[in-house]
Amino acid sequence: MGPSGSGKSTLLHCIAGLDRLTSGEVWLGELALSQLSERELTKVRRDQVGFVFQAFNLIPTLNALENITLPMALAGRRPDDEWLDRVIDTVGLRDRLTHRPSELSGGQQQRVAVARALASRPQIVFADEPTGNLDSRSGAEILSFMQRAVREFGQTVVMVTHDPIAASYSDRVVFLVDGRIVDEIHDPTADSVLRKMRELGD
Amino acid sequence: MWKVTLRGITTKKLRFLLTASSVMLGVAFMSGTMTLTDTVRATFDDLFRDINEGTDVVVRGVQPFESDFGDVPRRPVPAALLPAVREVPGVATAEGLVEVPYAQIVDEANEPVGNPGLGAPSFGFSWTDDEDLNPMTLQPGGHAPAAADEVVIDKGSADAGGIAVGDTVRVLTQQEVKEYEVVGIAKFGAADSPAGASIVMFTTEEAQRINNFRDQYSSIAVVGDGSVSQQELAERIARSALVGSDVEIVTGEALIEENQDQLAENIGFFNTALLVFAFVALFVACFIIYNTFQITVAQRTRELALLRAIGASAAQVRRSVIAEALAVGLAASALGLGLGILLSVVLKNLLNTLGFDIPATDVVVTPDTVVWAFVVGLLVTVLSAVLPARRAARVPPVAAMRDVAVERPTNFGRRLLIGGAILALGAAVLVYGLFATPDDAVAFIGFGAFTVFIGVFVLGPLIVRPVARVLGRPLVLVKGVTGTLARENAVRNPRRTAATAAALMVGVALVGFITIFAASAKKSIAHAIDQQLKSDFLVQGGTGFAMVPLSPTVAETMRTVPELSVVAPVRFDAVLVGGEQAFVTGADPATSSELVDFDVREGSLRDLTADGIAVSERYADDNDLGMGDLVVVTFPATGDVPMEIEAIYSRREMAGDFLITLDAWATNFLPQQQYDSLVMARLAPGADADAARAAIEEALEPYPTAKVRDNAQYKEDQAASVNQVVNLVYALLFLAIVIATIGIVITLMLSIYERTRELGLLRAVGMTQSQMRSSVRWESVIIALLGTALGLVIGLFFGWAVVAALRDEGFTRFAAAPGQLLVIVVVAAVVGVVAGVYPAWRASRLDVLRAIATE
Ligand SMILES: Nc1ncnc2c1ncn2[C@@H]1O[C@H](COP(=O)(O)OP(=O)(O)O)[C@@H](O)[C@H]1O
Ligand SMILES: [Mg+2]
Repeated sequence: MGPSGSGKSTLLHCIAGLDRLTSGEVWLGELALSQLSERELTKVRRDQVGFVFQAFNLIPTLNALENITLPMALAGRRPDDEWLDRVIDTVGLRDRLTHRPSELSGGQQQRVAVARALASRPQIVFADEPTGNLDSRSGAEILSFMQRAVREFGQTVVMVTHDPIAASYSDRVVFLVDGRIVDEIHDPTADSVLRKMRELGD
Repeated sequence: MWKVTLRGITTKKLRFLLTASSVMLGVAFMSGTMTLTDTVRATFDDLFRDINEGTDVVVRGVQPFESDFGDVPRRPVPAALLPAVREVPGVATAEGLVEVPYAQIVDEANEPVGNPGLGAPSFGFSWTDDEDLNPMTLQPGGHAPAAADEVVIDKGSADAGGIAVGDTVRVLTQQEVKEYEVVGIAKFGAADSPAGASIVMFTTEEAQRINNFRDQYSSIAVVGDGSVSQQELAERIARSALVGSDVEIVTGEALIEENQDQLAENIGFFNTALLVFAFVALFVACFIIYNTFQITVAQRTRELALLRAIGASAAQVRRSVIAEALAVGLAASALGLGLGILLSVVLKNLLNTLGFDIPATDVVVTPDTVVWAFVVGLLVTVLSAVLPARRAARVPPVAAMRDVAVERPTNFGRRLLIGGAILALGAAVLVYGLFATPDDAVAFIGFGAFTVFIGVFVLGPLIVRPVARVLGRPLVLVKGVTGTLARENAVRNPRRTAATAAALMVGVALVGFITIFAASAKKSIAHAIDQQLKSDFLVQGGTGFAMVPLSPTVAETMRTVPELSVVAPVRFDAVLVGGEQAFVTGADPATSSELVDFDVREGSLRDLTADGIAVSERYADDNDLGMGDLVVVTFPATGDVPMEIEAIYSRREMAGDFLITLDAWATNFLPQQQYDSLVMARLAPGADADAARAAIEEALEPYPTAKVRDNAQYKEDQAASVNQVVNLVYALLFLAIVIATIGIVITLMLSIYERTRELGLLRAVGMTQSQMRSSVRWESVIIALLGTALGLVIGLFFGWAVVAALRDEGFTRFAAAPGQLLVIVVVAAVVGVVAGVYPAWRASRLDVLRAIATE
């Protein structure tokens, strides 16, 4: 978490191999991203990383299922069907698979995006304010899906958010100010996060 | 408002340039053609003035009639007129001149000099020492021909054949080939020869002998003593000399004008032919302008709505779009005009290297050309932008709050109805023009074709999705999700894709049509040859459609070849039959009916007399004529001659509708028209074909333009001639294809711009740059194939309709040419790939983060 302009998105983009560093290093597991070519980075994004953006997460010309399996299709890999089924059921999209994004609600679209991020079993999933554009109920749904992914599948998820309630779904909150980590909380609650933010705001 | 327009243009420079370039190419082709023809005309106007400068009056034979099938020569004038003309007061000098219509120089290596039948003409005339009357100037070291075996030749031919004064050359004419000593080399003013023509100058007597003239000249040229005007001199000659009705008298000035008009007419034909292609190119450009503006208006919906919301009127919005179109048109016209002038220079040099020596002059850019360039360029652009502008004006202010660039759903039923109606109208007009052959058939056909294109264009959006689905199926199987994306992107804006494809459709339809037309022509010719030709060898002057006269001595020589049993010379020339222009065939009935299967229905060809004529069954039926009826044929020498129908035959592909004997030919055609067009021959029983061929070739060695062909080769020659014409048309249609390619590039660029965020997302979730490129490229290929598919369907329809309409003209066979059509499809796919290169590259180079961040 952190105030607007504190570098949250930038950090996420850097770790996900979307942005290049001016200095320093990014390690994703055993991989030093800063040494990789554009081609290799693309493979990393495809195979090792999942990404959920705030909006415009889906390709409008592909249906829900095609969107979910897109990274694997791009890699020319067959999805693991059993896993795919589990993911789809987890996000509750079974009856929406052949719909195009324009036929889905905002919440459903984000669920497809989460399913896509999980489907390729990446090392890590990044989510940049995934609930920013949703009403609170849809937002809560998305957050609980991601929480289940962490709890049940052992998936690592890094999420940027403004919202203390969203932050309370996580195990650990890291605070950024001016591009630097200034504090962190383990096992946060909405209250503890709110308090910390006020503190940093002063 | 103007500021907004201007800013729009300056910030989208590349798009602006691409859009303008589509119109620019069309305008360039148009103004290039006009400039070229104006330049050539101006050059020759000067030339004719130079040639005829010294001549005050010309006394010449009348032209019996005019024909589109070729130059009908004038009748000769009696030599007896010359002394009478010389007696007329005011005449300083008068000379009898003889023009030899065909005189081909053969060089030491037994090669004809120049490009017989294809390039500039080869002819001759009688030498006169009078400098006022002789356009040629002897070069130092030579003298005028003084004996029957002496000639002067032009410097262009001398250089081309490596011929010097004192050399011996052979000259092919309608007489037996003859050796001459070159006693002089002459220039044509400053040029080596007039327009690259090859010229032989004989003594007057020799020229008369070649033309079979007996005390005749082609004309008498008169120089006045300056005491009276040309007009007055002409009148005096007309009054005093023994002028019959066969002779006409014209002033030098009138002659110059006549020459100039004649040339203007010839060039006018060429000019019109090229302008048709410029029109096609501009028509294609219309689609592109329309489409580009349509897309940009859609993409600017929010901006336009905002303008409306803050108080711009609908009219202002409309005017801003039209203003942008005006700017595009202005740029396109100006650039196109400049490019066109350059093009005319290139084309002129090209003509020069092809042997049409056009003297160097300044390029002539008339005000007409400039006005046309701007009028056409602006009209095309502005008219194409009218619909998009209206659409822009209809954007409601609330659209500012809505999402962008979603195509309005197509009103299926209405579109089907309107498009179908237009298509049906076009097809009906086309078919009417072709089959009912009204007076303005060409106008009907042109309008019909044009309307068919518009109809398919309107229907396009309905067809895009199903057709692209089919075209894209293999792609999806092979390329997986990249292919799916390519296909889905191609169909996501059906109207946009349809309009883009329509531009290519026009070019492909015409290419397909020409291909089918040519294939049918070749098949029909081959069929006619197989069915009717019973000879083993054909000898032609030159090959294919290029007819070079053969001396009757060629056939005589062939008769001495023991390996041949039957030798039949054949002649074709222009006449009028019942006042209508026609071709008549002259042949020996006995021998030719042995070598050609005419399928005689009534009478017998063998019994054809010199006063009779054989006609085709079609002509007889169409005109309600039968055996023994009279047909009035207008011949060059004898005028209207009633001839009795003595035979009727059904197979008209080889001989056409009319056949007369060689005796009839000798009396009714002019003495300088007594040559053969081809000679057919049959192998003697038991003779070996190869040995016979060798023997004919050896016998005909003195006649190097005479080409010996067996039936298979003859077919190939005819096919090659068809191909030559077709290749020229292909080259001209290439422009339309280039413009259509530009259209695909523009559409893709605009689509990619619109999809920036989506492309960023694809890259973010793991699409490689090469996958991105591949996806855009395939999208481009699908659009190109879509245009091609539509174009081929239309082309097939045009081809079928035209071939069916020309059934009676010898198009007895329809050939769909699937092989060549497949080649067109492959070429279209390549066009798609090429058009996709730059947009694909741009798409793959998008900065992922900026793409995601784009609002
Ligand atoms: N570590 C950093 N060093 C330098 N500039 C940074 C750093 N992190 C972020 N920025 C800059 O700060 C601006 C805002 O960053 P962003 O990641 O969009 O913030 P947030 O997502 O927290 O609102 C961007 O222009 C970015 O380039
Ligand atoms: Mg951010």
